[in-house]
Amino acid sequence: MASARSWRARRFRRGVAGLALAAVAVAACAPPDRSAEVAAIIKGLDNPFFQAMGQGIEDGATGPVTVQAAQSTADTTGQADKLSAVAVQGFGCYIINPISGTNLVQSLSLIAKQGKPVINIDSPVNAEAARLAGATLASYVGTDNTHAGQVAGDFLAGRLPAGAKVALIGGTAGDVTSRARLDGFRAAVDGKLTVSQTVDVNEWSRSEALTRAEEIMRANPDLAGFFVANDDMGLGVSRAVQNAGKSDQVRVVSVDGVEDGLRAVKSGQLAATVAQYPYTIGEMGVEACRAAAAGHTLPATVNAPVALVTQDNAADALSAFPKPFEQYDDPYRQLLQQ
Amino acid sequence: MAEAVAVGADRESLGGRLRDIGFWADWAAVIGLVALVIVFGLASPSFLTLGNIQAMLVSAAILIVLAVGQTFVIATSGIDLSIASIMTFGAVVLGLLYAAGWPILLACLVGVVAAGLAGVINGTLVAKGRIPDFVVTLGMFSAASGAALILSDGKPTQVVDGFLLALASGSVGPFGYFIVVAAVVVVVAHVALFHTRFGVHVLATGGNAEGARAMGIRTGRVRLAVYLISGVLAGVGAILLVSRVGAAEPAINTTYLLNAIAAVVLGGVSLQGGRGNILGPVVGALLLTALTNGLTLLGISQYYQPLAVGVVVVMAALLMRYQR
Repeated sequence: MASARSWRARRFRRGVAGLALAAVAVAACAPPDRSAEVAAIIKGLDNPFFQAMGQGIEDGATGPVTVQAAQSTADTTGQADKLSAVAVQGFGCYIINPISGTNLVQSLSLIAKQGKPVINIDSPVNAEAARLAGATLASYVGTDNTHAGQVAGDFLAGRLPAGAKVALIGGTAGDVTSRARLDGFRAAVDGKLTVSQTVDVNEWSRSEALTRAEEIMRANPDLAGFFVANDDMGLGVSRAVQNAGKSDQVRVVSVDGVEDGLRAVKSGQLAATVAQYPYTIGEMGVEACRAAAAGHTLPATVNAPVALVTQDNAADALSAFPKPFEQYDDPYRQLLQQ
Repeated sequence: MAEAVAVGADRESLGGRLRDIGFWADWAAVIGLVALVIVFGLASPSFLTLGNIQAMLVSAAILIVLAVGQTFVIATSGIDLSIASIMTFGAVVLGLLYAAGWPILLACLVGVVAAGLAGVINGTLVAKGRIPDFVVTLGMFSAASGAALILSDGKPTQVVDGFLLALASGSVGPFGYFIVVAAVVVVVAHVALFHTRFGVHVLATGGNAEGARAMGIRTGRVRLAVYLISGVLAGVGAILLVSRVGAAEPAINTTYLLNAIAAVVLGGVSLQGGRGNILGPVVGALLLTALTNGLTLLGISQYYQPLAVGVVVVMAALLMRYQR
């Protein structure tokens, strides 16, 4: 019985080995040269922010480009697997938008051995982890969220009387992006407006932001404005303001510049939004790859554009969407034009 | 794989056996893997490069470790729906202890112990509480991920440590440490299941619990032991997970849960218990990893990947009905 079994297994194994060899032989015939191509691994394609980013990467490329995304923004290991998979294909340049500061570090150590440039966009790689893994990043481009908060703060400080009361609504507690936006806002209004309170909303939930805003308005009848860390929550807060019949008294400013946010600014539900441009971040990532291929030394950090959108320019912002409607600095393009 | 094969007096010709659907059923995972290797090898020249094979093995390691744990439970006709949540729980414990300044090895050890304890709770409830496995581990699935969220306050803890980074990116010859860890787990599990009295008791408990009891096997203890094994291996998976992503995150990791069960099913282990093997689930895990890797190399949208996994698993289960 045992011999029958092993005989069968041996025959089978021989067959398997033969087929595998045949596959290797066929595969070896056509090694494509991808050293002029760009591969991008982004966080996800399941929301408009990352879809715009992916579009920017594809539109910005002059040659073939491969855009891959994680299954969701929680799929840290899946994203690492995808970067490892494209790394073996020998692309000339890699654009990465990591889900966390560290999840791609191990895969980056593979690319480090090839010596190909890696452009980090949007969410930064943890510098200490990258150093330990021997990974080097050619350049980083992303939104300066502190600056975005400052722009919002300057706007509200200019529109409201000195010492007016404002409340701040942030996203998930401890979220780096949310904190940077709130910190920037606070710094800009320091000594000009009074920040009555700050609340964090778990998972950036629109409905929870609405509830919190209602409570805050009840506790502070003289409130003059809200700063909200993203447009989605901002729309919830503006609904709360309308429900309370205070549209004339309370101004809502948020950050992001998603399409719904721009429309709400145009219709007056939001006083302003500070738009960031995932499309442009993707586009600049590809330009950075081209600049690196042309032999230029890239700047370590580049701030992607942000723009204040108010009722005056909301129509322009909407028609240019997802691209910026104003001129902006693009150091990579300047390098390419030299 | 061979252990799963119910051997008959089969000295028919190769052609005869190829016409026999039972042959295909017994070898479903291997055949599936070979077919994928051929298809992807032809479609993408990068698929069979050494670098890609190494990357695939590294990314399959966590799944292999979990699938081995799941195999022990399924061999006793149980099922562990909490395995990925327990891994998350172990990872969070590890991360918090590391952040509190504990030495990394001790933090890893306590992480594994914590995961093992969760397994012991599962096993006790199943064996002593006489509650069905499905219900107990469904409860633990939720409870362990809840505990992870409570302990971590919903926030990821960064674990940037030289030892774990070396574990993730270092290698012995061409084999990354992840592969070495998975291989050790597989060999130990194979020996335990097929060359020890404990293994016999596991399969007997799954095959015919009453008969096993009549023969003097303490089936309650066996059930407790398989859940302990499953918990400890979830803890080992937690170390690999933290070392791979450089952080302990309270994410639920449902993909790992579903793929761990799918790998076991692909590997030809009967959900009714009593039949088990270790290499089958390993091949199943490799198949699932190769599937995602190949689709990525071909640049196929990630939307199609869960669909492809689902189709492969159900097709394999369908084929398995003809197992001899």
